[in-house]
Amino acid sequence: MDYFKKTKRQYTLNLLVALIVSNALVLSVWIILSYWQVRLIYTIIATVVVFIVFSLLFAISLSNYLIEPVKAIWQLILSISPHGESVESPKIEAMKVGREMTLSLSRQIYQLTSSSTNNANTIKHTPNPLLNDDFVASKLPLPLFILDQEENIIYANTSAGDYLGISAKDMTDKNFYMIMDMSFPSENTFDTWLKDVKANSAIASMSWERVKLNVLDNHPTRLFDLAAFYNRDNPEHYETMVVLFDHTKQYTQDDQAVSYVALTVHELRTPLTLLRGYIEALQEEIGQDSHPELVDFMLKMNAAAQQLTAFVNNILNVARIDNDQLQLSLHEENWAEIVQSAVNSISLRAKVRGISIETTIAPDIPSVGVDRLSIHEVINNLIDNAIKYSSQSKIIKVEAHLTKDGLVETTVQDFGLGINANIMSNLFTKFYRDHRNRSQVGGTGLGLYLSKAIVTAHGGNIWVKSTPGKGSVFGFTIQPYGRLAEELKNSDNKEITRSAHGWIKNHSLYRR
Amino acid sequence: MQPDQPGQTFQPASAKPTKKVLCIEDEHFIGELYKRALDNAGYATTLEVDGVRGLELAQTDQFDIILLDLMVPNLTGIDILRILRDPTKTAHLKAKIIITTNLEQREDVRQDIEKQADGYIVKAELTPREIVEFLNNIE
Repeated sequence: MDYFKKTKRQYTLNLLVALIVSNALVLSVWIILSYWQVRLIYTIIATVVVFIVFSLLFAISLSNYLIEPVKAIWQLILSISPHGESVESPKIEAMKVGREMTLSLSRQIYQLTSSSTNNANTIKHTPNPLLNDDFVASKLPLPLFILDQEENIIYANTSAGDYLGISAKDMTDKNFYMIMDMSFPSENTFDTWLKDVKANSAIASMSWERVKLNVLDNHPTRLFDLAAFYNRDNPEHYETMVVLFDHTKQYTQDDQAVSYVALTVHELRTPLTLLRGYIEALQEEIGQDSHPELVDFMLKMNAAAQQLTAFVNNILNVARIDNDQLQLSLHEENWAEIVQSAVNSISLRAKVRGISIETTIAPDIPSVGVDRLSIHEVINNLIDNAIKYSSQSKIIKVEAHLTKDGLVETTVQDFGLGINANIMSNLFTKFYRDHRNRSQVGGTGLGLYLSKAIVTAHGGNIWVKSTPGKGSVFGFTIQPYGRLAEELKNSDNKEITRSAHGWIKNHSLYRR
Repeated sequence: MQPDQPGQTFQPASAKPTKKVLCIEDEHFIGELYKRALDNAGYATTLEVDGVRGLELAQTDQFDIILLDLMVPNLTGIDILRILRDPTKTAHLKAKIIITTNLEQREDVRQDIEKQADGYIVKAELTPREIVEFLNNIE
């Protein structure tokens, strides 16, 4: 108010000076002309002319000064208004009249603007009439969240509160990610999508399946599908809407199916352990000097037990992939050593069928970033496939080299039945087997499905080339460790975790 | 069982003092197979099928290696591991603890077990001879 009085005084003073000066001038003209005894009529005319001219001059110059505060506030409001014209910010410091008042007013305007932006987004401070209990979505039987530009919750309906066990009012004004700590089955997560659409779209929508809410131990697990709608220029600032569709019961049942598979695997593994143990003991007792046929039987029994062990692991891992539980830890490994170890572990199975495996590994292969146990299974599955489909052919070629793109490519080639082109695209599908060969060749069609999931989680590709009657080449690429260095730098625990669908651990060989 | 009979491929640890192994394993036949392979390789193996008695034996601190199955009666392998690693409950333990299991664990549970143990073996993946090789490589 003091600033207002001061401005008023400045106005009064300016007007007073102007009036005095103009009146003085008029008076001076009258006195001078009278002194020179100019005729009265001319004196009157000259005085009126001088009065009009000076009044005009003063009015113009005064109005420029006096309008300054109004002009500054006008410029200020337009410059901060989202839909305002493009005007330059006022230069308040250079003002001659009402500077303090304008400065004070401008501060108030800035403050009002920033708090009104916040208030528009938070029903806590300024209840938005659209988001009260009459809001149509408040009765929606699905958890609904409305987020502002900062991803803060500006509205959560009653269902959302009930679903999370937090009152809807307690959620408002909180960051969405603090309330909803979610895990997604793939790298396509809600926040990456939102970042992308904020940068590239005005309107977008998306849905996700099998999202998991990370809750504290004493809270029940929540599994749901999620749908989101983004609208950048929503006049009410309802930028993002998120709806949850609960599927906890259904998805938990799927997880229990994994538990069932895990139980089955355990029950299969115990007799397998015994079988392999006794076969080994028998081999030791009978020795190499026994009848060659007996030695051969022993080898075949051993190979069959190994094959069964590998199959049991495949069942378990496929169940995990299907239930989004494939997770890999990538470490620096020597690729030649891994390939050789995988070939050695399956060589018995090849040997009992009279097949020899030729391994060629290029000397210039750099160290690779892989999950040792899982990638071991990929090589094993590809060689196992080659053995199954080799028919009368007695040779399998395993080869590893560096591609032009700097990736490490490994191929497994057989010279057996080959695959028809029309079924090639289905090969990496679960349970898919070549119908033509089904009666001749055993197998479940899990191996390639599993291999693809593991290779993909490594950031590589798996492919096949085949000529019916001549054989097939299966190949896959993995990345040199050097390419993963950047990712590793950002990792807390000095290892890279890849999550294609979940975890795939503890499934073969041993670990220390 | 004669350690030097034909077909025997183990290297008896004659130059080194005999290492004592406690095998806590409720599946009798698996225990027998492990004992056979380990004894043939020069280890002295004690078998125990019960969890509580297995823990008591382990706490006597006379063993160099403990093979610990996770599913044993009366006290689970996870409980035994925890008690053996708790300084307030087990004064001193020189033995290396190797978990042997055919059970699939949840990833977090498995990681927790691996942190506390010196090794983790899926039994179906290794034959008794391969387990001996694994133990031979333990410092």
